[in-house]
Amino acid sequence: MHKPIDRKHIKIIAGILVIFAIGLVGYYLFSAEYGDGLEVTMEEAGVGESKPVYTGPLDYGDSYASSLAMGIIGFFVTLLVGFLLARLLRKSDA
Amino acid sequence: MHIPDGLMAPAVAAFGWIIAIGFLALTMKVLNKKINDRQITLMAVLSAGIFVAQMLNFPIGGGTTGHLIGAALATVILGPFAGILIITVILIIQALVFGDGGLTALGLNILNMAVIGCLVAWYVYRALRRANEKAAVFAAAFASVFVAALAAAVELAVSHSISGGTYGIAGSIAFPAMTIYHLFIGIGEAIITSGVVLYIARVSPGMLRMPKLTFLNRPKEVVPDA
Repeated sequence: MHKPIDRKHIKIIAGILVIFAIGLVGYYLFSAEYGDGLEVTMEEAGVGESKPVYTGPLDYGDSYASSLAMGIIGFFVTLLVGFLLARLLRKSDA
Repeated sequence: MHIPDGLMAPAVAAFGWIIAIGFLALTMKVLNKKINDRQITLMAVLSAGIFVAQMLNFPIGGGTTGHLIGAALATVILGPFAGILIITVILIIQALVFGDGGLTALGLNILNMAVIGCLVAWYVYRALRRANEKAAVFAAAFASVFVAALAAAVELAVSHSISGGTYGIAGSIAFPAMTIYHLFIGIGEAIITSGVVLYIARVSPGMLRMPKLTFLNRPKEVVPDA
């Protein structure tokens, strides 16, 4: 029987998180202050962000440590939700 | 490219929700009872990996950044409908847990990044892969971002037009700005996606040969060796 998470998957997950931790250094060095394509388009048009109708319980953090922590939390929340949702759709004869 | 609350006209946001819900219903129908255990694990790991990748904005010059959407990456590995589900899960978690992207605009974000992103990536990839697999991945990733950005520009312009300027952005600003920025962001997406797919082709080529979850009542397609 195929194990949902085996040693190979644990290595892949660890690899993704290590790349994320390294990539986050680059993000804080080169990108953190700037907006993305849509945000810059909004700035050019003089359109500000309205008050959101809903504020999430967490944010992405504003320092390397907090962003790393939030990324790891988000990673495992997404992993769990993705896994549970996919299992709901699994083959009936698998 | 996460649209916040209050940017789009309510009618445009509602349109996004209707189309997104329709495609999600189709996605569930296509995927229902077709996913095997390996695909379940891969979907979960891809979702989580793309989530963290989306946090890493990269500079494209001129004080602007972009980030991976991941629609093409998910689509090339698992097919368009698994891709739609993966990107939708990410967008829902970003909106509900991290407040990234407005809740009222979630339908449009799903439409642009998940539905349009994955379907465009799939058709470009499918059209080009027999000629050149690597070029197909590159072109699919670029096109997924560029067309999704064009869709967002159309939504901005329509919102502006139907609301008399209360919502959205005039087409004369939205189209050139979104097009130029996402031309470069699309190249970034294509480079990252190509790099990841090349790496997977080297270390785990079987992952790229997995059956693709495509349309109803069609035989599952198998990607040739990378």
